[in-house]
Amino acid sequence: MSIKDLTSMAEAQVELREEINNRLLRLQNELSDYCFQCAKCTSGCEAHKLLELEPHKIMALLKRGLIDEMVNSDVIWTCMSCFKCRERCPQKVSPVDVLFALKNLAVMGGKQIPGNYTSMLQSILSMGLIQDVQEVQTRDMKTRRREDLGLPRVSKPKDASKFQMVLTKLAVEKV
Amino acid sequence: MDRIGVFVCHCGVNIAATVDVDEVVDFAGKLDGVVVSKSYKYMCSDNGANLIKESIKKFKLDGVVVASCSPQMHEHTFRRVVEEAGLNPFVLEIANIREQCSWVHPDRKEATEKAKLLVKGAVAKVRLLEPLVREKVKVTPKALVVGGGIAGIQASLDLSEKGFHVYLVEKEPSIGGRMAQLDKTFPTLDCASCILTPKMMDVKNHPNIELFAYSEVVSVDGSIGNYRVKVVRKPRYVDFDKCTGCGDCVNVCRMKGKVPDEFNMNLGKRGAVYIPFPQAIPLKATIDPEQCLFLRYGKCGRSPACQDVCEAEAIDFTQREELVEFEVGVIVVATGYDLLDPSALYEYGYSRYKDVITTLELERLISSSGPTGGEIVCPSDQRKPGSVTFVLCVGSRDETVCTWCCRVGCMTALKQAYLLREHLGDDVEINICYTDIRSFGKRYEEFYRRIRGVKTNFFRGRPSEVKEKKDGLTIDVFDTMTNKLFEIKTDLVVLVPAVVPRNDSSDLGKILHVSRGADGFFLEAHPKLKPMDTFTDGIFIAGCCQGPKDIQDSVAQASGAASRAANILSKEELEAEPLIAFVDEDFCSGCATCVSVCSFNAIELMKKEDNKYVARVVEALCKGCGSCVAACPSGAMQQKGFKDDQILAVVDVLGGEA
Repeated sequence: MSIKDLTSMAEAQVELREEINNRLLRLQNELSDYCFQCAKCTSGCEAHKLLELEPHKIMALLKRGLIDEMVNSDVIWTCMSCFKCRERCPQKVSPVDVLFALKNLAVMGGKQIPGNYTSMLQSILSMGLIQDVQEVQTRDMKTRRREDLGLPRVSKPKDASKFQMVLTKLAVEKV
Repeated sequence: MDRIGVFVCHCGVNIAATVDVDEVVDFAGKLDGVVVSKSYKYMCSDNGANLIKESIKKFKLDGVVVASCSPQMHEHTFRRVVEEAGLNPFVLEIANIREQCSWVHPDRKEATEKAKLLVKGAVAKVRLLEPLVREKVKVTPKALVVGGGIAGIQASLDLSEKGFHVYLVEKEPSIGGRMAQLDKTFPTLDCASCILTPKMMDVKNHPNIELFAYSEVVSVDGSIGNYRVKVVRKPRYVDFDKCTGCGDCVNVCRMKGKVPDEFNMNLGKRGAVYIPFPQAIPLKATIDPEQCLFLRYGKCGRSPACQDVCEAEAIDFTQREELVEFEVGVIVVATGYDLLDPSALYEYGYSRYKDVITTLELERLISSSGPTGGEIVCPSDQRKPGSVTFVLCVGSRDETVCTWCCRVGCMTALKQAYLLREHLGDDVEINICYTDIRSFGKRYEEFYRRIRGVKTNFFRGRPSEVKEKKDGLTIDVFDTMTNKLFEIKTDLVVLVPAVVPRNDSSDLGKILHVSRGADGFFLEAHPKLKPMDTFTDGIFIAGCCQGPKDIQDSVAQASGAASRAANILSKEELEAEPLIAFVDEDFCSGCATCVSVCSFNAIELMKKEDNKYVARVVEALCKGCGSCVAACPSGAMQQKGFKDDQILAVVDVLGGEA
């Protein structure tokens, strides 16, 4: 009595699957077992259109217990956390929460986080923002600074080192 | 007929937009024998009908032509109108100027010319029409129900409740059918016996039901209202009235535990004398003549043990087959289904590997009255399975075996998954390999969801092969949900076989005059509007003999068939269709060509006094299809309302000869 993926010779990681399912339950979602692969999540997935994330495939692999395969894949980092999949799932399952869990597992396992993610993280640590946006271009190609529009300057952490400390502490908690 | 009225319908714009109705009315008014010609916007409305009725009275008409839509639509409406005005309903002819003219021709001038010709042809035919009489047929207010499964039981109970005498014929020693073999039913998980046996008791106790168990229908002739039925009662070698069903004989039989038990899908063993299951109706012992030592060899120990032990002295080795004859007005056929023998798909290893079983076999293993007393064990070594894998659609939805869906397989597997979880606990691994899960019925989808929630592994793919290895059975299945090939090691493989017609349905169809579809199931007269009727009037079908069904649909169809049958039985007399074939005996040579082309067995050869044979039409059976008329080489066979001269008159007009 066993189920084996004949390509990778991987077997179900039962405990990890249990852990992720428990996380779904804690967040008031349904068990991944209820997913019946309608793929409504992927049909609406913003990350799929650009970056080939397939949330329904994530659910299928989770049901099969093939967690490592997903943790080792860069594609889990493409999720934009728009939560559409969770809002629209007819079975009340939440792929986005599964993706958070997988990303946590990756970080805990010491996996290298993909490059652009690291630079975003650096940017947040140093100035509290992903990007320091001071000016924008309008549709008719005119540049507008925040001051021009009467907006205040974007606030940044007053004490960068304290801010970094808080963030690092938070990062130990799960996303 | 020489006082004919012509009534042309506009059908809103359906006819009037393409055909110049006024021109047709003028043209018709000048035809020979026509005394009145009128048009109306909707001739089928009440006002149109009144126009026809008033004209018939005012002009003393003796024939009517209505130029309108196809006779399929409104012929019966206008026949009634004509009859209500005091004429014979068969002096009416419809000229179809809609489907055969206005709808198919774009050119107004040509269409009008064609409409005129069609009306002229109809008038020519009406001149030659003769009044016809609808013959009356007396109805025998009794019913035959063939098959004592849940559908047959329901039909019998319904008909008997309506006050009709019912003969229920079942070929097995007990009624109950497939449902009696089930443990629980989906999606409610009702115990099958608990809901079935009360109905079986009702059959036994109802004063209007006469039960012929262990009997088979061998011939049926006659027609709607009056079928003559012959039934063979097979010998049980047990006196029916004396046997108390105590089971003493069963316990002492020298063959006890040696004969494969068909009720338990051959998983258990019975003796030569047996009672199929504890709640059997009738609860009487039956001796299997092919297994009984005394019946086979004339010797069973010093004397047959069953005979020695039976206090009621019910054992009777001298019994013979008994032929019973009776008459009924209607027949309900409810002969059920077989499961496909999965050996047809060699790759799944059924009958090669002991631990590859079918759903019905698992059902008997789960049942507490089954061969293991409800212990679910692998047949090969009697140990509890740690992993059970279902393979759905075995032979179903397969162009090389059965093209259709069995409609119960998915739900059966889901139900059994639930029961396995209940009986074997949380640790057993349950895998379901499916093509689609079809949970279409009321509360079925909810049940499917429930099963997903009890740790069931669903693989969306059809396994190609079941292999036996040293450490058990192995299935490779490509799962299209993950796009991966998985190897499942499992202890017990449960195949969900296709639902197929009973193996004797071809013979039975011939005996009962019920046609079969390409799939072998009995064929309904119309897939949507006459799902319980057959092409033979007075014979109805219910349950899985018509096609795969679950219990709820079988019961619904059985009640429906009983209700359709009661429509006939509740009448004292039936009116026969008068537009049927008849024989001019002077021209008939008795060649029997007509007999061979008739699909309804409605023509017999009759010996006349001068020893010559002539054909005779059994009026109650004839459907008026006209095959015999067309086939008759001498013109002796004619059809009322469509005689040669009547048709030729129309042909002459349309061909421009008249």
